[in-house]
Amino acid sequence: MTMIARFFRDFSSRHGTGAASFVMAAVLFWIVFLILLPQLAMLDVSFRHNLPRPEIGGPKDVHTLDNYRYFLFGNSGGAALNALDIGVLVKTLVAAVLVTLLDILLCYPIAFILAHSASGAGARLMVIALIVPFWINDILRAFAFRILFGATGVINGVGLSLGLWTAPIDFIRADVALYAGLAYTYVLLMVFSIYNAVETLDRNQIEAARDMGASWWRVHWRIVLPVAKPGIASGATMVFMLTAGALAAPQILGGPSNLWFTQLIYQWFNDAGDWSRGSAYATILLVVCLAFVFVMMRIFRVSIGAIGR
Amino acid sequence: MRRLGGGLFAFSYTLLFFLFLFGPLVIMVITAFNSSAFPRVVPWECFTTDWFGVLVRNERLMTGLWTSLAIGLAVVAIAVPFGLAGALALADIGPRLRAGLYAVLITPILIPGVVLGISTIVFWSYVGRKLGAGYDTVFFNGLFLTLLGQVAFIASYAMLILSARLQRFDPTLTEAALDLGATPGQAFRKILLPFLKPALGSAAFITFLASFENYNTTVFTILAGNTFTTALASKIRLGTDPSLSALAVIIIAVTLIGAMVQEAHHRRRALLAGGRPERSWLYANPLTRLLTHPAAILLILLACASAIVWQASHHDAQACRADILSEKQRLQEKLLQEQQQRMQQRQTETPAAPAAPSNNPSPFGGAFNPGSLAPK
Amino acid sequence: MTKDVVLDHVSIRFGGYTAVENAHLTIRGGEFFSFLGPSGCGKTTLLRCISGFVQPSEGRVLIGGEDMRNVGPNKRPTALIFQNLALFPLLTVAENIAFPLEVRRVGRKARRKRADELLEMIALPGTGDKKVHELSGGQKQRVAIARALAAEPDILLLDEPLSALDLKLRQHMRTELRAIQQRVGLTFIYITHDQGEALTMSDQVAVMNAGVIEQIDDPQTVYNQPRTPFVASFVGESNAISGVVLSQTGRLATLDTPLGPLVGQAAGGRTYLPRERCTLFVRPEQLFIADTPPEVNEIKARRVNEEFEGSIRTLYLEAGGKALRLYHMNAATSAALATGDGALTVSFKPEQATILPDDPALSG
Repeated sequence: MTMIARFFRDFSSRHGTGAASFVMAAVLFWIVFLILLPQLAMLDVSFRHNLPRPEIGGPKDVHTLDNYRYFLFGNSGGAALNALDIGVLVKTLVAAVLVTLLDILLCYPIAFILAHSASGAGARLMVIALIVPFWINDILRAFAFRILFGATGVINGVGLSLGLWTAPIDFIRADVALYAGLAYTYVLLMVFSIYNAVETLDRNQIEAARDMGASWWRVHWRIVLPVAKPGIASGATMVFMLTAGALAAPQILGGPSNLWFTQLIYQWFNDAGDWSRGSAYATILLVVCLAFVFVMMRIFRVSIGAIGR
Repeated sequence: MRRLGGGLFAFSYTLLFFLFLFGPLVIMVITAFNSSAFPRVVPWECFTTDWFGVLVRNERLMTGLWTSLAIGLAVVAIAVPFGLAGALALADIGPRLRAGLYAVLITPILIPGVVLGISTIVFWSYVGRKLGAGYDTVFFNGLFLTLLGQVAFIASYAMLILSARLQRFDPTLTEAALDLGATPGQAFRKILLPFLKPALGSAAFITFLASFENYNTTVFTILAGNTFTTALASKIRLGTDPSLSALAVIIIAVTLIGAMVQEAHHRRRALLAGGRPERSWLYANPLTRLLTHPAAILLILLACASAIVWQASHHDAQACRADILSEKQRLQEKLLQEQQQRMQQRQTETPAAPAAPSNNPSPFGGAFNPGSLAPK
Repeated sequence: MTKDVVLDHVSIRFGGYTAVENAHLTIRGGEFFSFLGPSGCGKTTLLRCISGFVQPSEGRVLIGGEDMRNVGPNKRPTALIFQNLALFPLLTVAENIAFPLEVRRVGRKARRKRADELLEMIALPGTGDKKVHELSGGQKQRVAIARALAAEPDILLLDEPLSALDLKLRQHMRTELRAIQQRVGLTFIYITHDQGEALTMSDQVAVMNAGVIEQIDDPQTVYNQPRTPFVASFVGESNAISGVVLSQTGRLATLDTPLGPLVGQAAGGRTYLPRERCTLFVRPEQLFIADTPPEVNEIKARRVNEEFEGSIRTLYLEAGGKALRLYHMNAATSAALATGDGALTVSFKPEQATILPDDPALSG
């Protein structure tokens, strides 16, 4: 509290009381009412029974672990694991990791080319060409992949007419369309994250290493990659979180039998109307994803300050 | 090749990469002009612009569009000031608190959108209940909840953009203003805010776009209502037709025009800042000089676009479609006859077999009659 | 118009770190006053304290007899010229200069008129509509001064304003600054690590080291009669020769040094105890080559190296295991310079050397 008071005093002496009050009020409202309290409310509801409105606050309205128990054991009462839902969570995480890795592989060369090979007008054109596809709605992008990968889509059409395969392949059911669509959706984030890091590299360093006879992969491994690391970490964190939390793409591109964890949350919340269980599943997603990201950041020795830079 | 990453590999990789980026969009654009009721390129049936008409007459999408625009503007009006406040606080707070505050203000970007959506409605319905408010109050209003849910994380985007600009601000400028007699408020308004102006502009643009495009949070917070994006998603989930491709065509066109005008603006500014605009031949002639102005370019592009739209709106695909229709009917009759023949054969072989012709997996699916959707 | 600035036992601390320790001095109205010291000695902090950006942890700052505590930087009769000048990049030159008037809600026309007058004064007429980045370094410098003057301060504070300029321009701006100061008659408080700037422009110089003001005097006194070893070595070049006191008669003390007995002046009228450890400081230009053996301060030296610099020649000598430096005017010829083995006798006048105690607490 004293720290806040001191900040307020210093800030108003620099920028005026009006600006200081505005900054304090906005930041506090944002943190408390838009970030902190909603998460706590969700956490609280996840520990309650799903009751009709008149019974809320009544004798039945007590804290319970039921919703989490359900996630772990289903209706088996502790006898067997809820393989279905746990499986969906694991599958979502694994798929998100795959999509993130795919994006790193896809974007690292482009980011490097953009930062160190393209010049003036070419680089500007590349930037515009990178950005333009991303003004288009997420939903429409997923739609484009559905057209592309559908049973009568372009890929199947080309494959069939070239004789590569004889019967239409169901890319949607195989989740190929989903992974491709998700990777596509977050390409821009990854490219610019890596670009921002790689761009700071002095070109002379690369040339010096080349002069000393280092092969190009060694130059990348020893010189470029260490510089790119914070960018890759920042991009990977965002792509992973966004992929794991994606809802639109799985709904549009996901196969009928393959669920994304967010779709489970959606079903509990909107189709079953069970806010408590939906909240519990949302909490599980949040905690698992954040824990995963923090573990990864520990392993790769990156701080949260690198994210978003 | 001295330059690392230059050369053939870089060129072909770049080419493939942008093919991956633009291929799906190009195909989607093409499907917008195919009269086939299912969005596809092959088989090509007729060139048509009717899908644009179908799009405009989709009432759910159009009301969603207005809702989205309203929400977007409101989000800009709140998220940009919040982001500014966050960026200013980060810039002036002590180094020990800064890391913590940054982590807190950046988390909304990392929290999955569905989680934000759920937590927002759960919290505000709780507040509403505590206050004894009814379902017709603001706490159960989809627009209000969407606004709050979106601002929670979109303000972080604004903060990132403004922070980046603020880091390049020289704090001695504020001190100089104070020292010269300005009040802190005057220094803020006359020195710091003008410096942030370009970043405020791009923050407003990005926040609007983020709000307009958002699905994950909005699909929860909008409750029973619809924004453009949620209407779009539910339409695609229920079944697709090329009117969505037509929408993509419009968005891509607008984006391209925007990008070109922006590029013209950028080049012109670079030329003017270079100090010798008169060296360029474009600037020697007053007419070509006028044409380099972004507004002139915008006008020209808009004129081209409207000419195309006018031309396209007079295109009539009726004749072609009738041909296709009769062709299809012929094909259908042929299939039907073949089927009947087969059935007769089968009946003669195993008279008890049930007939199930309705599950015919024809490549044309059930969408036989695109003409019924078209305007008469 | 003229207001004295008084620092009344001012100390400034940041956490556990002391930036300024017990600064106590008076700067008279209309004076050109310099703080001279190496970077990190606390001089900028002191300047920011006078302009109001830093509050003293102890003591008071008085301007024109008024206590400045709780008076913001925008309410003080001071104007600061920042090291990086801090010109507003988005405003034109005229808007920059008129900024102090704009915040006082002076009308647009009057503002422009005053800006043009000031541009005339700094010899940059007609540049009012240019952007700041179109000006050269020296022009920016002058615009910053004009902008500060537009605020009509009583005291102008300058924080190493010449450090970004090249040598020629710096020398030119020195004379110009001094001329402006004499024309407008304001108090100038000037911060620098360049002794040349401090000595040429100032009426008074305060030499600072590690947050402490070691000496306040006019430039000549600071140069000729340094009060502390730091001042002696920081301001100008000095040969430092340490030894122990043999005797003292009046102001002259004799020191036993590895170079033999040397006589110099006891600094600030001190009286040394016999056997007290002291250091004798003598400037390279005060050392001379003695063609005939001198009465006192006879130093047998050997020439190690020499540098020819036009008007003077620097001789690098070695005597009693100690390296010495000597500036020899080229006009003055000496037979000894020509001897082949490099052996020569050098000397200095006792009243031109200063003897300072190694431990100032011992003698009074």
